[in-house]
Amino acid sequence: MLSFTLKRLGQSSVLVLIMSVLVFFCMYVVSDPVAVLASDDFTEEDLIVLARELGVDKPIVVQYYQFISKLLQGDFGISFVYNQPVLPLILERLPATLEVAILAIMIGLCVGVPMGIYSGLNRKKKVTKAISFITTVGYSIPNFWQALLLIIVFAVWLKIVPASGRGDTTVLFGVGWSFFNLDGLRHMLLPAVNLAIYKICMQTRLARSGTQEVMFQDYITFARAKGLPRHRIIRRHLLRNILIPIVTITGLELGGLIAFSTVTESVFSWPGIGKLLIDSIHHADRPVVVAYLILITLMFVIINFIVDIVYAVLDPRIRHTQ
Amino acid sequence: MKTKFFILVLTSLIGFSSALFAENLRMAYSSSPRSIDPFPYGGASTAGYKEHVFEALVAADDSPLLSTGWVWNSPTSLTVNLRRGIKFHNGEDFTARDVVYSACRMMYRVDGKRNLLTSSMGPISDVVEVDSHTVRFETKNPYPLWIQKMKFLSMLSASGGDLRPGPITYDPEGNCGIKSYPTRDDFENGNAAVGTGPFKHVSYSKTLAVLQRNDAYWGEKSIWEGVEISSVSNSGARLAGLLAGDYDVIENPTTEDVKALEDNSSFAYTGKPAWRTMFVVLNVDPKGAPGVSASDGSAPLSNLKVRKAMSLAINREAITDRLFGGNATVANQYAPSYRAGAPEMPGLEYNPEKAKSLLSEAGYKDGFTLSFSTPSDRYPNGVRVAQALTQYWSRIGIKVELNSQPWSVFAKARKAREMGAFFYGWGHPQGPAQMISFAFATRNKDLGLGSSNYSNYSSEAFDAAITSWAVETNPDKSNEHVASAMEAAMADLPGIPVYYTHSIWAHRSDLKINGRQDERTHATMVSYK
Repeated sequence: MLSFTLKRLGQSSVLVLIMSVLVFFCMYVVSDPVAVLASDDFTEEDLIVLARELGVDKPIVVQYYQFISKLLQGDFGISFVYNQPVLPLILERLPATLEVAILAIMIGLCVGVPMGIYSGLNRKKKVTKAISFITTVGYSIPNFWQALLLIIVFAVWLKIVPASGRGDTTVLFGVGWSFFNLDGLRHMLLPAVNLAIYKICMQTRLARSGTQEVMFQDYITFARAKGLPRHRIIRRHLLRNILIPIVTITGLELGGLIAFSTVTESVFSWPGIGKLLIDSIHHADRPVVVAYLILITLMFVIINFIVDIVYAVLDPRIRHTQ
Repeated sequence: MKTKFFILVLTSLIGFSSALFAENLRMAYSSSPRSIDPFPYGGASTAGYKEHVFEALVAADDSPLLSTGWVWNSPTSLTVNLRRGIKFHNGEDFTARDVVYSACRMMYRVDGKRNLLTSSMGPISDVVEVDSHTVRFETKNPYPLWIQKMKFLSMLSASGGDLRPGPITYDPEGNCGIKSYPTRDDFENGNAAVGTGPFKHVSYSKTLAVLQRNDAYWGEKSIWEGVEISSVSNSGARLAGLLAGDYDVIENPTTEDVKALEDNSSFAYTGKPAWRTMFVVLNVDPKGAPGVSASDGSAPLSNLKVRKAMSLAINREAITDRLFGGNATVANQYAPSYRAGAPEMPGLEYNPEKAKSLLSEAGYKDGFTLSFSTPSDRYPNGVRVAQALTQYWSRIGIKVELNSQPWSVFAKARKAREMGAFFYGWGHPQGPAQMISFAFATRNKDLGLGSSNYSNYSSEAFDAAITSWAVETNPDKSNEHVASAMEAAMADLPGIPVYYTHSIWAHRSDLKINGRQDERTHATMVSYK
């Protein structure tokens, strides 16, 4: 266990280092923050001074060295655009992304898994065929277009939810969350549903294939022969055994939702970290982009780690063979 | 079980209509303000937002605002008379002391970073409180542009803990002897967001700012009790917000959105010619320009006939009518022809046959190769116009390669002077000579000229006119110099003006908008029909 953890830690550090080098040098080659932030009436002197203020007047290797030494002390640098320390800037926008991601995952699980189990158990019914069709369509629709479609139907035509933005938040543990008041929930609904549609399709298929596989196992036949009611078989035997791939995928998807909900956040003007990333790339705000990607790498590493642990916990066979 | 809960929530929400009616104005900007601190940043969103709370001595349209007038005592001394009876949001009177304080704050570098006017105030040697309602600015050299620059100097209240009573001495190197100034956090949490403007700060985040009417405003009180300014950068979502009833007014609908609104009776749009000239910058260096090549090795763009041909090839009316649906104005010079102070200039001809013969005369019967760059995400219809220009030039025989890049990449290439021809837009909040003084003058550090001269253009006639303008404090003579400079530059065409943009606002049809020309959006523009 300990050696497993240490090996993972070592691999992750190397990964983060490689990521930081790649992003740092890529941003340097592709864009110039002084050119982006300077206004038209800047003189040559102003440009030099701006470069010095941003810290980009030194050779790139020196800049990288300074960046790494600050990073090791926990200082992620200062945003070129907002002139604020980067880590608090990202952290202040994190709750918004987290809450939409969590809601999307919950919707995905709560709608997708039951649908999947139903279609797995009732393969011949028309409803199952309809579900099949819907999930295929749901998979294929581009996220961007789907988001605008949701806005048109639910915000413009039906006017039951607002088109964009984040609503009122209630403060809990010093952080504002939209979950706990109606206005916040209304604003959160469409972005979460937009992200959830793909998740629902994925979970439905996973649950269905898992169900189909498990239903023919001996222990299910045995339970039926014993006379257990159907709902008990489903809840106690079926559900646990199909959960493993579902949990694994959910964990990975959570990481993806947190890190890369850029399209949804842009369309819904949702003030999360994905939007911050896109805006920072547009404005050549290198400190934010690099810090963001490092944090995301770390997050994925941690999530993968947790998923591995949960996997072992859920499946005693894994535990005992290790 | 969670599914049931959500179905319940949804059905109960159907009973809700959109926002309850109140005298609140909800606007959506197309980009977010960078900060509520009025000193460090420019940009239309930041400037538009801050004007609700803070005001300056001079208004955006060049008229006196917190001042009542000004007089040049000498070419280096300007006396400004302040309006009486103005109070800040905290109840303090607006006096000359606040002007000096604000000037000091503009020169104070938070974390060592510069502010909007840090270099523009370089020529200011002193700011003096003559009496409670008179201020005198002393400059090192004649600096008539200072009047325009004062638009960006927001007035702060010189009150609060650290200030000793009595007059403040303007001493930028010593921070005027004041130990601490409001920081960005002080502005964002509202403590320092105290101005004289028609609205008071309530709360601010990068995506939503909330303002409340200032009932003690010195001017005409707004009809809006409260204002909410959201930032929605995605144009589809912004329009959807308007249609869904989330916003009453939105900025910058696209050309397609405008067409859709024409058929919708609940919504309307208002356009207003803006102070922005869209033009093509050409590198006229006789040694050659990057991305431009001819079979005989010469530098085509350095030949005046070639530049004239390129201008003759452009059908500007087709661009403004077809691409913008009439929401753009044909350009005839480098400043918007309707900008106060801009000279009368003849229209620019469209004649592709003449263009082709001029090109032959110049020695380029078989054309030449031109690499033409444009930012892809900065100007409405920018890429379409660039494509149209490419087609017009191709028709007269020039092989054009269009290079469309995101702004961050484009800006880098422009700064590194890697582009021989590019599409660009200049705003003119500081007067009709703004663009030409930066873009076409030979570099002159003392007078602040030519810092954006990407054309490598240098003309004695033009320089003479523009340097006279830079030190002329008499407004009529100043306009004469602008006219001479404009004529000299237009005779040489170091850039090709194409069109002037219009600002467009989409809004509820029961509202009317008195649009601004500086591309900013302000709640006082909006009223009921």
